[in-house]
Amino acid sequence: MSILIDDSTRVIVQGITGRIGTAQTHWMLDYGTKIVGGVTPGKGGSIVEGVPVFDSVEEAVRQTGANASVFFVPAAFVLDAFLETIDAGIKLIVIVPEHIPVQDVIRMRSYAADRGVFALGPTTPGILVPGKGKMGIMPASLFAPGRVGIISRSGTLSYEFAGILSEINVGQSTVIGMGADPVVLRNLADILELFEQDEGTDAVIIVGEVGGEQEEKAAGFISRKMSKPVAAYIAGRHSPQGKRMGHAGAIVRGTSGTVDAKHEALRAAGAEVLDSPIHAAQWAKKHKLQ
Amino acid sequence: MRLHEHEALDIFEELGIPVPRRGVAGTMHEALHLAGEIGYPVMLKAQVLVGGRGFAGGIKTASTPEELKNMADVLLGSEIKGMPVRKILVCEKAEVAQELYVGITVDGYSGTPVIVVSTEGGVRIEETAGTAPEKLASMHIDPSFGYYPYQARRMLRMLNIPQSLISAWTDVIGQLYKAAENYEALICEINPLVVLPNGGLLAVDAVLEVDDSAISRIRQPLPDRIERIENPLEKRGKEIGVTYVDLDGDIGIISSGAGLGMASMDIIGEKMKPANFLETGGGITAELLYRCMDLIMRKPGIRGIFINVYGGINPIHEGAKGVVRYIQEHNLQLPIVAKALGNRQEETWEIFRSAGVHVVTETATEKAVAKLYELVGKN
Repeated sequence: MSILIDDSTRVIVQGITGRIGTAQTHWMLDYGTKIVGGVTPGKGGSIVEGVPVFDSVEEAVRQTGANASVFFVPAAFVLDAFLETIDAGIKLIVIVPEHIPVQDVIRMRSYAADRGVFALGPTTPGILVPGKGKMGIMPASLFAPGRVGIISRSGTLSYEFAGILSEINVGQSTVIGMGADPVVLRNLADILELFEQDEGTDAVIIVGEVGGEQEEKAAGFISRKMSKPVAAYIAGRHSPQGKRMGHAGAIVRGTSGTVDAKHEALRAAGAEVLDSPIHAAQWAKKHKLQ
Repeated sequence: MRLHEHEALDIFEELGIPVPRRGVAGTMHEALHLAGEIGYPVMLKAQVLVGGRGFAGGIKTASTPEELKNMADVLLGSEIKGMPVRKILVCEKAEVAQELYVGITVDGYSGTPVIVVSTEGGVRIEETAGTAPEKLASMHIDPSFGYYPYQARRMLRMLNIPQSLISAWTDVIGQLYKAAENYEALICEINPLVVLPNGGLLAVDAVLEVDDSAISRIRQPLPDRIERIENPLEKRGKEIGVTYVDLDGDIGIISSGAGLGMASMDIIGEKMKPANFLETGGGITAELLYRCMDLIMRKPGIRGIFINVYGGINPIHEGAKGVVRYIQEHNLQLPIVAKALGNRQEETWEIFRSAGVHVVTETATEKAVAKLYELVGKN
């Protein structure tokens, strides 16, 4: 079992003809993802990595039966393409690009919520179900099939945790990047809920970072609803206040968004706080996760 | 990008928000001249882009030209929280009957703009939220419809604001919302918004932070974002397209992701001290990594370099070539440890090893940091 991606997922790649879109389509196909088409306005009729390209999402859906989309569209065009994708009936969308204006993300989030669309990002590595497929940019060699769910605000740290677990033969059920922007399309608690309901997931690791209040808010959900063990790591203990640490959302303002505040909320909710990524291995052994 | 107070005040004034008489001075003589026009007493406020300026001695009151001479001399050329004071704002000192707060920000959790008003201004709003929540009201704005004045009136009634003030305060909130929209602000704030003895309102401080991702489409003129970065290394980082944060240790860090970079800092910080945080983002090339090496080496006293990269969206073998070229051209003899995993990792390891870089092939960053500690310790 897995969440979000399964055998019925038929993926299109938006921005497939760009340099990154083409390269990542290659890696996604290589990993066994069912990619049925690509979309780049004006490039319809061409073939990329053996996949047909369409001028519009509507046409791609009609011709291929696509029900999911992953974006490699330049930031300035993402809002437009996102609305088009929802109007074409796609229900799962992954937004990989970074530097999308916050006002655009606010509109995207509102539109998706009103229409029952599940969207991740922006600035996300995507979703990967080990052994089955991926929508995004995760380097597949670090992942192994198993029963631990990972949700991360940071792409590279999701690879780090998956790799640490894979090395001791603890596989992952699904690995999800939620995105690193000040506003993301789906909150941490929403994704935790999917893992809680997934029969293929025995435990969940949250990989967070300074800034925002996703982890603090998710703590309420953990204490009320999570029956599975939850571990959490928060990056940025040594980050100076008021500086954006790469991610647009990773900034400590005043007393909010600090590592200490997040630790406190998560501990109070019953999550096990990991001081460092390598502790994920001990945690997995303690809970006999395989 | 955060704007200076005087820039934000200009913008607020243009939109019709009442602001004090003021001017910006770069020398004591300019300050003296301005104060003469405005009339004493005046406030002198250091124009530096850090919070908590007042507590750090960056805000002073001068009642006479003599006082102003001394204060302006001290302020100009001083540093507030490490930032050099190049300009001071000279403005009329308002008579304060009450201090209020109004701010517009983006609530990351609900994914909407939110307006916050408080009858307690002049302090950190988070503190008020903790100690006196009854003095604070907030309202989320539906992004499909935007702001309407009834929302402000409702918040003000909740705070038991006298009817005589509601109209003027509602106007200010509406104009502030306009500023936030025009500049795609992440924060747009007046703190304090002063109630004058005659009942009028005056915005005596202003914060406006523009969304960097929206800068190219904002129609209003904006200052140059890179030019105003004070730290020369951080400025260089922006020029080459990476995030560089200057720290005070001696271990250089290059990472291909923000989370990974922060985790590397945290782990290195246990036993050593990071000199910098450099995060490349996506789009690594050999040239970019060459420039990254050059940038972290500009910091004096670097004793070791830690490279932590993943090949997901990034071609890390290309990046490795740039690092190696820098090492060879500069005959770099420092300990350098690289952890590089993901697509084309074996090729990347070979390239690093060819220049004497210590490659760690296990995933846990702790293992690679331990190797660096061992090598740096020997020096």
